[in-house]
Amino acid sequence: MTTNTDTKWDWEIKEQTNWLGASPAEFWAYRHLLAGLVRRDFLLGYQQTVLGPLWVLLQPIMTLITYVVVFGKVVGISTGTVPPVLFYLAGIVLWNLFNDSFTGTSATFSENAHIFSKVYFPRVITPVARLAGYLISFGIQFGFLVLILAYYWLFTSWSAPSAFGIPLALLVILLISTQSIGLGLLFSVLTGKYRDIRFFVGLGTRLLMFLTPVIYPVEHVSLKWRWLLELNPLTPLFELFRWSLLGQGTVTVGQVLYSIAFTLGLFVVALLTFNKQGDKLMDVV
Amino acid sequence: MSDIAIQIENLSKLYRLGTIGTGSLRQDLQRWWTTSVRKKADPYFQLDSTTSPHQALWALQDVSFEVKQGEVWGLVGNNGAGKSTLLKIVSRIVRPTQGVVRGRGRISSLLEVGTGFQPELTGRENVFLSGYILGMSKPEIRARFDEIVAFSGIEKFLDTPVKRYSSGMYVRLAFAVAAHLEPDILILDEVLAVGDADFQKKCLGKMREVSQNTGRTILFVSHSMQAVTNLCSKALWLQQGKVRALGDVSQVVNQYLADTQQSNLLQTWSTPEAAPGNDFIRFKRVQIVPQQVGDDEPLDIRVPLTVKFEFWNLLDETLLSTNLVLFSNGGECIFDVPSVAVVCQQGVVAGECTIPGNFLNDGAYYVSLFIVKDTTTALYDYENCLSFELEDYRGEIKWYGKWWGAVRPLLPFSLTQTESVLS
Repeated sequence: MTTNTDTKWDWEIKEQTNWLGASPAEFWAYRHLLAGLVRRDFLLGYQQTVLGPLWVLLQPIMTLITYVVVFGKVVGISTGTVPPVLFYLAGIVLWNLFNDSFTGTSATFSENAHIFSKVYFPRVITPVARLAGYLISFGIQFGFLVLILAYYWLFTSWSAPSAFGIPLALLVILLISTQSIGLGLLFSVLTGKYRDIRFFVGLGTRLLMFLTPVIYPVEHVSLKWRWLLELNPLTPLFELFRWSLLGQGTVTVGQVLYSIAFTLGLFVVALLTFNKQGDKLMDVV
Repeated sequence: MSDIAIQIENLSKLYRLGTIGTGSLRQDLQRWWTTSVRKKADPYFQLDSTTSPHQALWALQDVSFEVKQGEVWGLVGNNGAGKSTLLKIVSRIVRPTQGVVRGRGRISSLLEVGTGFQPELTGRENVFLSGYILGMSKPEIRARFDEIVAFSGIEKFLDTPVKRYSSGMYVRLAFAVAAHLEPDILILDEVLAVGDADFQKKCLGKMREVSQNTGRTILFVSHSMQAVTNLCSKALWLQQGKVRALGDVSQVVNQYLADTQQSNLLQTWSTPEAAPGNDFIRFKRVQIVPQQVGDDEPLDIRVPLTVKFEFWNLLDETLLSTNLVLFSNGGECIFDVPSVAVVCQQGVVAGECTIPGNFLNDGAYYVSLFIVKDTTTALYDYENCLSFELEDYRGEIKWYGKWWGAVRPLLPFSLTQTESVLS
């Protein structure tokens, strides 16, 4: 065999796996696939449904009504000066983004095993497409939140905070997305290897919701137990989201920095694990 | 050097059996507890207890070859020879354990027809989706969309969900997308084994057109030697993960066919202890000797076959006879022929029977030898001791369909015109 070291090869496949996975150029080459997968998920989600994409709004509205009645009226949790509708809607919309994209991406390997074992493309495209799909739904729900907010601001005595907070809300959305896909990537490796982790994902997110200020403000929690809540990197993000949009929230700069550091660390570790372990998983799934 | 499209160097792939986990966290923990903490046998994988603790399977071992630009390579070999593993490594689906694959140009693999098809979506959506998955871009698919639809022949059902398609329509659409891929290197696994005969012909035609007119490099796995010889210029024969032969297609395919054909034409044993049999009979040698002219020609239906056998008789003063039973590939008995009965002493007994040429139909056959005492009591039935395959031969006949019948004897057959209306 004549091996000429001067020759330029376009690609090379070796036994070592690249920690970084696909190069940005390769990822870009598959951008059409990304768009196609988002479109597929959207079409599939509303195939043979009566109301179709209306569900994007119906789901948070129904949850909102339940929360307002159960937690606002029956249990009587105080939402401070913020109208309960706005308080719960902000929490629900943000939690949905986290919950959907985490659970949606956590089964990447087990759900796509039949495709992954037959054709190559940068694996990370599938979870990113999922996240993109959920971000579109979130955008619609967020628009709805802004509409309700405008209504309260114009027609009731409630005074909205200045628009100065909106960039902070966008930062929160970015961090929540990164955190959820990070967790999703990490868990997709685990669920690929151990199918029973899937049940844990469902149960875990439901329990995590109670440790996150979705249905109650942090202010409301006794100081004795607040440390537990503050350990959760989602807590400062939810409080910051409400503070920036509704003008009420208990959060410090330190807590936000903790959350940012956690998110970035998680994302890097998750991406590397996904790329490195993904190739090994292909021998198993 | 610049005309080499794929270079494969010392490629090996090891699959570990029993170390990959059971797929359940509870069972894996339990397994870890018993094997690592209590040092007991693995409760879930018992097959490897006799050999090394972790049985390893080399799906590929030290495979090296170079594919030049525009060459069409056929990969042949038995099931489990590593053909699919090789394709999967070159397509970047699995990583090799050792070795390198280098290449030039865009690569697309088609290991299955309809990868990424979504039954709920319409044909139109699926053309785009599966095109994206195979690495095409939106403008590329748009440009070829009409061509793809025309090739598949399902224009009318383009906006129907694919789940309502017949399986034939589904396959046609899926293949149409794949056939219009335009990568520099195309990897194909057995995709022609689907669809009806008409569509297969269309596919083969398309593949030939693609490889000849556009100078595309193709790696092709198939069990159909006819397809391989037709399409490919080069072939690689893999056997248990190793390269058995590579080079010119007709040469490699002939070697491969000859090897698989001859594998059961002869069996010999040097001692009675190791031989198949029982307390009365032990076989020494079973063999089929084809009465043909050239040695390396494949067996066809014209060749007379002589079955020769020898066995150790362990009984004194016994009246022995032998039956030769021939079975078709499907397990149907073609004939059961008895020998004359002879009184034999302890020692070696030999027999011979000739199946005439121009008697059997083409196909694969199995031979069983059945030894009988006193023409009534069965002593030993050596099932499927030999097997052979007969290729077709039709001479002047211009019809190419499968010939009917268990046998195709050459009987005296005349045809004469006895009356004529033409004045």
